[in-house]
Amino acid sequence: MKKNIMRRLFILFISCTVFAVSMVSPCLAKEGLNYRLKWLFNASVTGDILAEDQNLFANEGLDVTVKAGGPERDAIRELEMGYAAFGVASADQVIRARAKGAPVVVIAQLFQINPLQWICKTSKPAINTVKDLRGRTVGITYGGNDETIMKTLLTRAGIKENELTLSSVRYDYTPFYMNKIEVWPVYKNAQGIIIGEKLRKQGEDIRFFNPAEHGVQFVANSVVTSEKMMREHPDTVARFKKALLKGWQMAMDPANQDLALTILQKYDKNTPRDLQEKQLISTRELVWPDRTVEIGRMDVTAWQQTEQIMLEQGVIKSGVKIEEALMIP
Amino acid sequence: MLLECRHLGYQYPLSTESVFKDISLKMDTPGFHALFGPSGVGKTSFAKLLTGDITGYTGEILKKENAVFLYTYNQERLPGWSSIGRHLEKVTPPGMTELCGELVETFGMAPFMGQKFSQLSLGQQNRINLIRYLLQKFDLLVMDESLANVDERSKENIIFKIKERFPDKYFLYISHNLMEVSKFSDMILVLLKAGKLPQTSLIKGLNIQRNDAINSHKLDAVLLGIMNAC
Amino acid sequence: MLVRRISQFFIVYGAGIGFLLALKSILGLSDYVIPGPLDIWSTSLAVANGYLYDVLNTLGVAMVGQLLSIIMAFSIGTAARKSSWLGSFIKAAAYNIQAYPIVAVAPIIFILLGDGFASRLIIAAMICYFPLLLSVVSIMSEPITDIEHFYLATGRMRWQLEIKIRAFENIRKLTTVISGSATLAMAGTIVAEFIAANAGIGHAIRIALYQSDLSRILAALFLIGIFLSLYQGTLEWVGEKIIKKWVIVDQEELP
Repeated sequence: MKKNIMRRLFILFISCTVFAVSMVSPCLAKEGLNYRLKWLFNASVTGDILAEDQNLFANEGLDVTVKAGGPERDAIRELEMGYAAFGVASADQVIRARAKGAPVVVIAQLFQINPLQWICKTSKPAINTVKDLRGRTVGITYGGNDETIMKTLLTRAGIKENELTLSSVRYDYTPFYMNKIEVWPVYKNAQGIIIGEKLRKQGEDIRFFNPAEHGVQFVANSVVTSEKMMREHPDTVARFKKALLKGWQMAMDPANQDLALTILQKYDKNTPRDLQEKQLISTRELVWPDRTVEIGRMDVTAWQQTEQIMLEQGVIKSGVKIEEALMIP
Repeated sequence: MLLECRHLGYQYPLSTESVFKDISLKMDTPGFHALFGPSGVGKTSFAKLLTGDITGYTGEILKKENAVFLYTYNQERLPGWSSIGRHLEKVTPPGMTELCGELVETFGMAPFMGQKFSQLSLGQQNRINLIRYLLQKFDLLVMDESLANVDERSKENIIFKIKERFPDKYFLYISHNLMEVSKFSDMILVLLKAGKLPQTSLIKGLNIQRNDAINSHKLDAVLLGIMNAC
Repeated sequence: MLVRRISQFFIVYGAGIGFLLALKSILGLSDYVIPGPLDIWSTSLAVANGYLYDVLNTLGVAMVGQLLSIIMAFSIGTAARKSSWLGSFIKAAAYNIQAYPIVAVAPIIFILLGDGFASRLIIAAMICYFPLLLSVVSIMSEPITDIEHFYLATGRMRWQLEIKIRAFENIRKLTTVISGSATLAMAGTIVAEFIAANAGIGHAIRIALYQSDLSRILAALFLIGIFLSLYQGTLEWVGEKIIKKWVIVDQEELP
């Protein structure tokens, strides 16, 4: 009887394994390349969707599908499982993954300035230095990179966590509107615009607290691929990067603003055009702050600083030499 | 007169065939009477019509004012959360405690009063159920197979006790046992299938009391009368 | 029974871990996608104390939520047992509301009540309330004719007695549905915490997900499984004790 049960369990185990393995299909199959974004379609991915919409990938002989990300999506995991050939991940994701042996490399850094900042109302006392956070109620997403950034700011400024109130936040901004949480983490070019507009209609105004202005450089969204892809299909990677950055170049060029907005409207139907316009302008300032520098440039120093911050905060146990993962031509 | 039925008719819900048609009878003599008939003829339905447990009949059922009719059957159960003795205490009306003790003794249930209903045999279950009905206020008690699974000797004892203790009450005993019905009943209402005319026959039973000798000729006559009626 | 339940959990959990590790080995996946056994072990040790507190926190909310839902289900279920318009209305409402995913309603509750204890409690109670209510309504609507007949015929029936009879006769069903709703309560609380709370093991799992830390998630799942097995096993044990005490059965039926 026991032998029977053990035999059945073993057969079930093998069947499950075979089934799981069969589900993993290489994304280089004839059906094309998947490009997994970090979040939903919004202004932060204008360049990506423009590249697809304007056939820039096709012009390079590539069949690329741009797929929206989300809270439970992890582009790096999808690279390793073979569900995607390219993806978008933030620097902390890349560093955490490299620390755990994930064979991921970075081919372009989209945001030169991190859009993750803290929003506060102008009716509240200004935050000119980190020390001004004392006694304030500050929102952070526990487990997110804003937690790491904020704790780094506080540590470096010599502020203990009990000198202010750190409050867990989620996707509902009601506590911010109701002044229960004074300082709220947002993506400046996305939710920041929406919240700002909403408050202005009620006669209030907002300002942003940027960690980079206080010495904490934390790299944001970057384009990643697998080491295997890089090794076995360098030409494909090069063509993809070329098409993608061309898309970003077009999207960030003020001369193409109408085109970019039209495409954005197609992919993100829920946000009004006038807000998208403001989001696009804001995104431009973060992706292409210096018009003399090409879009997608990788700031090695910023990456190393990001790694250092994660090490200080105990997010990773040891260094990963992130510069080795940056595929700088 | 306790009860009179005039042109009683009844159909089961959703059925087009009549169970009873045009039955008329009177019950005006207290005593231990019986309702007899083949299986499925509608004895239980008939009894339930008399007690008001089912309605929807045609004709009339006239009852003595304020008369209490009770119907009991052999599948009834007592609640299982305490002993049968405790349950009996709770349902014994004031002033009936002595009678309760008598019945418990006569019915042979005294050794089991500390047990729960589910621990009793089928015969014991039927007996305790009958005891609690006998303790209530009633004018007519319909006993539908209430002594099923009870051995013959105990059954005899119980019926004699009922007759002795409740001489002014009406009992309608439903049973398949021809011998039992013939011996103990006063009047036997034989119910036949609808379609047969007449659908009922009234046969006089032996109605023996405790210590009466059974006249075999008379018994044969009753048996024959019932069989002829069927 | 408790020991069996826990050992069953260990087998299932162990099989799950084994499956993941086999997948990792076959596909050559890094620790980022599926952590290795050492990573799982060291992370589990690191988070054990914190997660233990979190899971007990969640279990506490689930238990109170379940108790609340049992009280509500019995109150409303017994009121709804009659075939009156109220009874029919309650039954229809319970069926319809049960079909609605609580996860869709949870964010609204959090917006209105904040992310504290009350929100988690309400969601935990709501998730296990409707199945309980339907069971109670179905039990309480079904007359036990063999027992109730005497009381009805002799005018002794009271609503308390009616409920007592029907509850007693269905005690096995009731204890089963109550111990089964423990899983619902726990799952509901965890989902609520995952969506928007600031405490509990669901909140911890959300953080672990943000960090793509499967080791933490596995540690959380282990603790959830252990405590849920303990809780459910305890409820089943209590149910059996009640049945043994109040319902004397034939010797053959005793476990």
